[in-house]
Amino acid sequence: MAAAKSRYPTGVHPLLVEETARRRRVEARFVDTFAGAGFAEVVLPIIDYVEPYSSLVDSASAKQSYRFVDREGDLVAIRADFTPMLARALAPAMSAGDLPLRLFYRGDVIRVEASRLGANRELFQIGAEIIGDDSIDADVAMLRLAADLVRAPGKEPAVVYNDASIAASLIAQSGAVREALAAKRMSSNVPAALATIVAKLISGEATVDDVAPFASEAAARLRAIGDALGTDPVFTLHLDDVDENAGYYTGLRFRVYADGAKVAQGGRYDTLYERFGQRAAAIGFTFTIDDLD
Amino acid sequence: MRIAIPKGRLQDPALGVFAGAGYDVPDEADLKTRRLVFDRGGIEWILVKDCDVPVYVEHGAADAGIAGLDQILEHECTAYQPVEFAFGRCRMMLIAAPGAPPLTKVATKYPRITRQFLESRGIRAEIVPLGGSVELAAVLKLTSHVVDLVETGETVRVHKLELQDVIAEISPRLIVGKGFYRTEPKLVRELIGRIEEAVNVAR
Repeated sequence: MAAAKSRYPTGVHPLLVEETARRRRVEARFVDTFAGAGFAEVVLPIIDYVEPYSSLVDSASAKQSYRFVDREGDLVAIRADFTPMLARALAPAMSAGDLPLRLFYRGDVIRVEASRLGANRELFQIGAEIIGDDSIDADVAMLRLAADLVRAPGKEPAVVYNDASIAASLIAQSGAVREALAAKRMSSNVPAALATIVAKLISGEATVDDVAPFASEAAARLRAIGDALGTDPVFTLHLDDVDENAGYYTGLRFRVYADGAKVAQGGRYDTLYERFGQRAAAIGFTFTIDDLD
Repeated sequence: MRIAIPKGRLQDPALGVFAGAGYDVPDEADLKTRRLVFDRGGIEWILVKDCDVPVYVEHGAADAGIAGLDQILEHECTAYQPVEFAFGRCRMMLIAAPGAPPLTKVATKYPRITRQFLESRGIRAEIVPLGGSVELAAVLKLTSHVVDLVETGETVRVHKLELQDVIAEISPRLIVGKGFYRTEPKLVRELIGRIEEAVNVAR
């Protein structure tokens, strides 16, 4: 079938005058906020080799990227996630004296979404990261910054946070935990030693004290983050919101909702940079702009 | 709160679960109309094709619903599955025509589950996606094998086919969308609590 003159491939479309103006207004607001908080912009390439990321990308997220063989015969992928690309670009170039770095980026990613039966989607994202700062202050600063970005256009944010290492440490002890947490349903395969904590996580009754024996560092950090955030109702600790598949996240993990819709997600990935040759703690978040006025 | 109820074989037991949990569900008279959305007891009930429940919940168009594991797997639905039900259990099976050659061509309503099954066994075979009555594909020799749900095995017996392999044990589950789960913990806990209680009473 000849491509009709008015058609575009699935998941992409041009922005005409009004939509572009709206997009640029949103961008400008983000850029102003980031600049005010001391973040500098970087630009990352739209395609990159697949090979440097092979140790890092699990098969599920690999499936999310649009890949092809370039004219030299190398396997390349269109950008689907900024964070690993920033680590690969930055790790060889930075020295300890440069840290911490506060950086932001913006641009399109293309995702092949399995749940949409192979449809591609072009998404516009803006994200920010602090590299080389493993402090709780950095965690709190990023949570607050994410909430402020939602508030700027007059929306009500809800930031739900947790620590990815809690589920990771439980899953490391027993694979059955992954299944139970993924479904949010208790399973008789969970070993007796973990049954109480897993059942409490699933039922939503678990407290920071309950998880402390299994993930003491995470518990201590969550306590400190909770204290720093105070009683602001925007921030909610969801210990039951466990990521059964944490990807590269190693610590704090959060999602940002605006009027009930997810607009951003992020967290801490303290082992990502060392995979590209330089140790550095890092935390960041990414907003997907399409749905945010 | 918006809850998706699957039309078809799970519709009555699904409504029964919510009724048993004390929810004001759409009644016979409602269901005789052609409407698909019912406001009752502060809840919006939507009636959708069973294979669409995971789609509505995955994308947040419904907050929760009842769906079979077959449809959850086929749609790679990431919603939580906090309650598993005792009704409507069946098996996803590989079925063959008698004296069938090695598996090279298989018909199914579940191409994704079938592909994963074939990959896990290291089998290369062509998948022929069909909309229904897939056993006929083996009877008429369109394919040597089919993958389908088996409840009593009656269809398989009538068509003189052979059950070859269990791919998955299938049960219906309460599914809850991740966004709803994260942003409305009170509603979620109440919903799960009431459904669990109703299920336990029914046992």
